[in-house]
Amino acid sequence: MSGPNLAKIAWRNLWRHKRRTILTLISIAFGFFMAILMTAMQDMTFKEFIDTAARLGSGHVVVQHHEYQEKPSVSRTVRTTEVREVIKNNSRVVHVVDRVMGEAMLATSHDSFGAAFLAYDPEQENDMSLQFIEGVVEGEMYRTANDKGIVLGKVLASNLGAELGDKVVYTLMDKNGELTAGMGRLSGTIGTGSPGADAALFLLPINKAREVLGYEADEATHLGLYLDDNRESRLVADALAPTLDDGLSAASWDMIAPDLNTFVAMKKGGGVFFLIIIALLVTAGIFNTLFMSVMERMREFGIQIAIGYSTQQIFRMVMWESAFLAGMGLVLGVLITAWPYSWLSENGIDMSAAYAEQDVSVGGVGFNTTMPVGIYPENAWLIVACIVVATMAAGLYPAWKAGRVEPVESIKLV
Amino acid sequence: MSNTVINISNVTKDYRQGELDVHALRGVSLTIEKGAFIAICGPSGSGKSTLLNLIGALDSPTKGTITVDGKDLSTLGRQGRSHLRRDRIGFVFQAYNLMPVLSAYENAEAVLALQGMPEKERREIVMTVLKDVGLEGLEHRRPDQLSGGQQQRVAIARAIASNPAVVLADEPTANVDSETAESLLDLMEDLNQKRGVTFVFSTHDHRVMERAKRIVQLVDGKIASDTQNQGDV
Repeated sequence: MSGPNLAKIAWRNLWRHKRRTILTLISIAFGFFMAILMTAMQDMTFKEFIDTAARLGSGHVVVQHHEYQEKPSVSRTVRTTEVREVIKNNSRVVHVVDRVMGEAMLATSHDSFGAAFLAYDPEQENDMSLQFIEGVVEGEMYRTANDKGIVLGKVLASNLGAELGDKVVYTLMDKNGELTAGMGRLSGTIGTGSPGADAALFLLPINKAREVLGYEADEATHLGLYLDDNRESRLVADALAPTLDDGLSAASWDMIAPDLNTFVAMKKGGGVFFLIIIALLVTAGIFNTLFMSVMERMREFGIQIAIGYSTQQIFRMVMWESAFLAGMGLVLGVLITAWPYSWLSENGIDMSAAYAEQDVSVGGVGFNTTMPVGIYPENAWLIVACIVVATMAAGLYPAWKAGRVEPVESIKLV
Repeated sequence: MSNTVINISNVTKDYRQGELDVHALRGVSLTIEKGAFIAICGPSGSGKSTLLNLIGALDSPTKGTITVDGKDLSTLGRQGRSHLRRDRIGFVFQAYNLMPVLSAYENAEAVLALQGMPEKERREIVMTVLKDVGLEGLEHRRPDQLSGGQQQRVAIARAIASNPAVVLADEPTANVDSETAESLLDLMEDLNQKRGVTFVFSTHDHRVMERAKRIVQLVDGKIASDTQNQGDV
């Protein structure tokens, strides 16, 4: 070794005041714990919001008629066979479904109500593309695209006074703007988690809907694309858009569901603000420790400078102390976070008591009352980086002050 | 080749303390030869510590020039002064001289490590000087496990390990008992005679003055007397 081992001196300096160092480490570790758990709750909750919205809507990315978003109509359609050819080489897209969506007037022998319909092919769907939070409440789902069954939201069924097996007539405008009607037998009722959707949504086998609407066999209002990671939605939509025929557009979930997007953005903003507060508190604690430690050692720094230590060496020595605090604080943070994180990521947080009978929906999309917990790896690394940067930043001023000690003045201090 | 290790020429040092202008040194001129064992003495406020700080490149004079080991201090920047202190000047302060987190060995090797000397070479020198100052076997002890006298011996070992041109000792016996003070002085006298180490003391301890070969008396920032010691102080 040549040159003084500043890291060794810094390490020993930290342990001169064990209690103070341990308290600082605990504050860093606790800050890490809070930041990881808060972010983990946000990451998975928002992921679930978005995925649920995609399941009930038309995917993380939707291919539709370019005017559909502004003027939704069953006359604005997409031929899905051609588009599927374009999409099949995109590795980010893991599932594709045809969907027909529109509005209709429903009538039974008891009553009539207006509602939105979602028509799909049960053989194309899976848990990723279509899943209802409360599932089938009564009866069963239809099994094929040509089935004669119809499924109603549980509140809608109740409002219509419909029982399983009852005839339900739906009246709507077809592709050409002509009034038309279809009929199905109530095969089941579902719960979506959103009271609004439960009162105004019904499900149809897609080929039945096509028949009534006058569609071709591969015609739909939407082609829904599902991704493993919803954060890639915009990327996929942007990549897809130029490859589509004129008259079609690709839109990501945030464009399709602006209410949900705004809600998530606001919540994320609040989360970032809270994380900044945690970071500032942790930084203030570290700064206090280092600054006190430096102020107590002014004479010592004076002697070190007198015998030939340079300003930079003293600065580096104190920065080593910051680095050790950051490193040990993070290790302690990982140790105290690992078990609670692991348990929560497996079990989630049951919020049902907190929500009680309240509406658990955002932008018309219901969500689960068990809050999922899980952090995206890049966010975990970001938190680690923020803690290292905050700790090192907290050391800058004390280190600078230590390096600027005037030996003549400080050596007098005993 | 000149035998002069320190040359102080017409040095003045003024500073401001609160509302007061303090004239710590008023036109001091002094030459110190290699191998000197010199005591700068005087009452409190006479300017002896200020003079030592100036020689040690820890402070700058208001006027005048100081040359240490052939280097005019006024020509050196912060880094140049730092290197001069590291390479050519040894320091022994009153007390709390050592880095408390380092062992006696590590404190003694500090300056050599700063010079970038390889560890093997360093070890040889440090073990020799620790033996010379009577600390053989105590090298792994930290300052809080050593007596005041032993701590000063470590400081002396650190000061001489790099073979500096001069060792500046500011009241080195002020915080130790008489017996320890005598043994420290024996040690420094021995190092001066056997190794030829130049010692400059700032002191008002009569025991130091009795041992010094030359005594410079400062009064009110001026040299009142500069005498070779006849042993009757």
